Amino acid sequence: MHLTPYQIIVPLLSILAMVYAWNLVMRQKKTIWEACLWTLFWGGIALVALFPGTLGYLSAATGIKSQENAVIFTGLGILFFLVFYIIIRIEEMEQRQTRMIRALALREAGLEKDDKAKKE
Amino acid sequence: MLIAVIPAYNEATRIASVVRAVQKYVDRVIVVDDGSGDETGKQAKEAGAFVVRHMSNGGAGAATMTGIDAARLMGADGIITIDADEQHAPEDIPALLAPIKDNKADIVFANRFGTRNKIPFIRRVFNGIGNIVSFLATGLWVSDSQCGFKAFGSRALRDVNLRMSGFEFCTEIVREAAQHRWRISEIPTKVIYSEYTLAKGQSFANGVRTAFKILLRSFLR
Repeated sequence: MHLTPYQIIVPLLSILAMVYAWNLVMRQKKTIWEACLWTLFWGGIALVALFPGTLGYLSAATGIKSQENAVIFTGLGILFFLVFYIIIRIEEMEQRQTRMIRALALREAGLEKDDKAKKE
Repeated sequence: MLIAVIPAYNEATRIASVVRAVQKYVDRVIVVDDGSGDETGKQAKEAGAFVVRHMSNGGAGAATMTGIDAARLMGADGIITIDADEQHAPEDIPALLAPIKDNKADIVFANRFGTRNKIPFIRRVFNGIGNIVSFLATGLWVSDSQCGFKAFGSRALRDVNLRMSGFEFCTEIVREAAQHRWRISEIPTKVIYSEYTLAKGQSFANGVRTAFKILLRSFLR
């Protein structure tokens, strides 16, 4: 079986993403369920990279047959991911603002968290 | 010490009666006034609650977490969270606390669908969707995941850390239960849906946005 560089790099990246997810589970930052979903997602990407023939079913369902269409499709996927990433960043900023509102409310009520909690 | 946490936003007409009714079953009541534009905080204080006020509206999740933090700082061993709109019956508090007192659960979810309650069809549908989204995001099935009426035992109270500000916090609590492997119990409770309560509920668009946020965050977390 002749492998292209793409077919080597993508599965390796997928394995890295899966290891990272399960590492987060070990550190109690991700649940087992979330890691399973993550593994399925990256497993699927690795599978498609190694066996492009599996996309034949997708092609029949979506009508994407040519390489040009596939490039547009991939581009859309990347754009979607970027939008998701921006949404998450905005949410993080909102969370930071909310943490300030909450800390201020507790302080005004005469209840203060210790320094360690404040940093969190 | 058992503390009730009541997140409230523009509930001046209801909050005092909720505080008085809840006081019979707990040692203290904390009302988190989530940046209300009316007299919610004043009414709650006059009814005997300890009031913590957000300077601007942070959302139901943020208000609940502020209340949980306040309860921890006051030395609570357990807490009850209950909505401020009179939809829950405070008489159900002892039943909700029973599994914690018997050391059988770390968190107890009220289940509005576990007993004969008059619940509008559309509410049943929305709650069903909420349960499915929660399950997809957490892998844990809770019969009434979107209900604000819950009891936290000492372990759950120590571990819980909500980061989501809006109504997504209900699903985040289920996630916390899965993450920390809390023992879960569900108790059927009464619910009273009035025109006021229904008007205060989430819109469909807001529900969709909430579901999207939950699924996205559970994947990218």
